[in-house]
Amino acid sequence: MQVTFVCYNVSDGAEGISGIFLKGMSRVSGFSELIKSFEKTRDYVRDFFIYGYKVRNEFERKSSRTYDNEKRRVESWLGDNLKYDYSRRGKHTSISVDCGHIHENPLYSAYYSKSFTDNDIRLHFLLIDILYGGESLSLKEITDRLSDDYQQVFDEQTVRGKLKEYADEGIFVKSRIKKTDYFSLSKDTTESFFNEYEGLSDAVKFFSEDEEFGVVGNSLLKTAEMKNDIFLRKHNFIVHTLEDILLPDIFDAIDNKRYISFVNFGTANRVSPVSYTAVPFRILCSLRTGRRYLAAYVPEYNRFNSFRLDYIKCIKKGVVCENYDIYYEKYLKNENRCFGVSFGTRHELGTVTPVKLTLYINEKTEGFVIDRLNREKRMGTVERISENIYTYTADVFDPNEVMHWAKTFIGRIIKVEGGSEKIRKKFYKDIERMHRMYIEEGL
Amino acid sequence: MGSIFSEIFGVYYRAVSDMLDRSEITENEINHIISEKAFRDSVLFLPSKIIPRKDGSDWQLLKNGADGKYNRITKNPPVKIAADIHKRWLKSKLSDPKIKLFFDDATYKRLSERLSDTLPLYDRRNYRYTDMFSDGDDFSDEKYRENFRKILSAVKTHEILDIDFTSSRNNRVHRFFVPVKLEYSHKNNRFRVYSQMIVNGKSVSGGIINIARINTVNGTGEYYKDIPDTKTYFSERRCTVPVTVSVTPERNGIERFMMEFASYEKHTEMDIESGHCTVKIWYDKSDETELLIQLLSFGPVIEILDPDDFRAQAAERIKKQYELLYSYETADNT
Repeated sequence: MQVTFVCYNVSDGAEGISGIFLKGMSRVSGFSELIKSFEKTRDYVRDFFIYGYKVRNEFERKSSRTYDNEKRRVESWLGDNLKYDYSRRGKHTSISVDCGHIHENPLYSAYYSKSFTDNDIRLHFLLIDILYGGESLSLKEITDRLSDDYQQVFDEQTVRGKLKEYADEGIFVKSRIKKTDYFSLSKDTTESFFNEYEGLSDAVKFFSEDEEFGVVGNSLLKTAEMKNDIFLRKHNFIVHTLEDILLPDIFDAIDNKRYISFVNFGTANRVSPVSYTAVPFRILCSLRTGRRYLAAYVPEYNRFNSFRLDYIKCIKKGVVCENYDIYYEKYLKNENRCFGVSFGTRHELGTVTPVKLTLYINEKTEGFVIDRLNREKRMGTVERISENIYTYTADVFDPNEVMHWAKTFIGRIIKVEGGSEKIRKKFYKDIERMHRMYIEEGL
Repeated sequence: MGSIFSEIFGVYYRAVSDMLDRSEITENEINHIISEKAFRDSVLFLPSKIIPRKDGSDWQLLKNGADGKYNRITKNPPVKIAADIHKRWLKSKLSDPKIKLFFDDATYKRLSERLSDTLPLYDRRNYRYTDMFSDGDDFSDEKYRENFRKILSAVKTHEILDIDFTSSRNNRVHRFFVPVKLEYSHKNNRFRVYSQMIVNGKSVSGGIINIARINTVNGTGEYYKDIPDTKTYFSERRCTVPVTVSVTPERNGIERFMMEFASYEKHTEMDIESGHCTVKIWYDKSDETELLIQLLSFGPVIEILDPDDFRAQAAERIKKQYELLYSYETADNT
């Protein structure tokens, strides 16, 4: 039976927890702080975090009641990290976090909110208790113990399902003797790991805030009743954890050279999302723009493409792609011509566009800028042309990406060449507009 | 493999595990555990499921005991197992060069052997960081590893360290510091240590030291216990006035801006008539130049409004840029 936490909100239906009453197990209002599916909540948490300015009626995807429930749930998970502001347009809810100075990503809470049944939680603690002493027991023996020792009657099918689930999770170890399955408790206790390997607790504390599945490390820490109190992260995009839910399926498809299908809900496709079938290769992450992408080949359009992970939903693994290795080899050749994540408008193997920047850098006083140029140049080349004059050249699919980076050198760019006329004009026009904004009209 | 999103790792299971850790528990203790371990509103939902009810609608993991207390029905405290997903995650991390900062070679080898039959959760090559700086720290360097471990240890013990390092301006600095926190930047691929400089046993100022710039570090056997909490420590480093920026929707500017500046503490407000968004950004004073550069890279899509001195710095760079672009263009054409 599904556990249902029911509450009535006797206030205006929108705010706070005042006036909430528990109503046993009956299903009336249907609000629970636990969730069955991550997908819907993922959108709301992201929007609260990224768009602090949105008010209730701007969350156009669902009804007001859905918004209220989601907001109340996120309030409960994130506590003090949720902030409220008022403007003429209404009340804004936002997640306000100084991400560089926190020890734990507060958005991990979303992963710790999965709903469960009464039987789930009962069996969890009882089965672990039965197997505590290291005994190896059969399904029948375990079911009998549940009844004899704890006066809890479960049908064998329910117990079998839970035993199998926990064997898959690595909590129980399954062995087969004379056609009968026996189950014992895994000896891999968190204590055994942390006590046996000096330094492991610090390593897990550090990696628990990592870009790559930090939430799993955080969960390991929490299981062992530990927490990170040492490490901080600069340039910390905590919202990425919400996309981690997609990655096991993507990585599994990559490992097994399979197609995947998914739905893209990009800004332009919010109302009419587009379905894709693609061959996945890698996750591309920008540590500056805070965006993560799936790099893939789309057979329908005969081209490589990058899809924003935060816009992707409903991933399904498809059949094996027989030409995976051929596509992957071509992908790697293309990847070297991506300044960022864009493959431009090229097809399978397209031509690249050269871009050249000429910069004035005072060698005596601005050596750090030359260092910066060298460490950020990616596939480009830095050359000293004459005293204080340097060039940066790169052959790339999308010169627009170079120009966004080039603007971090504002105050030092002498000339832009290559790319396209449109891109060059845009840069010059941008500088003129900024000059007007800050100098002619602004001071 | 199990899923990351599983009730087994959820806050309810963790809270109940804590309750069952003891053979006897009071209602107050139950509520305390919920407030410590679970979500803010869990206290409205969880007690009615864990505390025995006459109608049997609770989880039946506790039973009524003496003196209004409750006893667990289990015989032993719950065992805390490292699940398959945890081990697979650890296995993946073994291929990260940073992991060796935490272990000596023998311990690393033993852990690798223990996980030898475990499949990694993911292959690190499946990630590509497009704009990570190329001059990150060398985590395999023996001296770096040794320095890192001494500092890590001192962060925990608050031992005062005798540190000799070369500053970013190439000045040699030799002082006593107590490390406060270790910070990693993925973009820079570097570790830095936030510290307090100690003179005559007193903290005189805060500072950040790049681990890679440390020449020598030695323990002193003396300890400084008056370390401020994280909030206080960083509030002293925070800008006094936030930078206020107007962001326009041009070129999808608002969405791009909100994503790129998501890691900053900020306050945003939308003017529905103009479609412009006003954002106040708080930042660490040592990051001012980095923030300025990042804001300027948005071009005319944003405008820095406040404070005056910050806007003046932007204006100075733009003036210089405008002059460079047009003076050289004129020179080229003549």
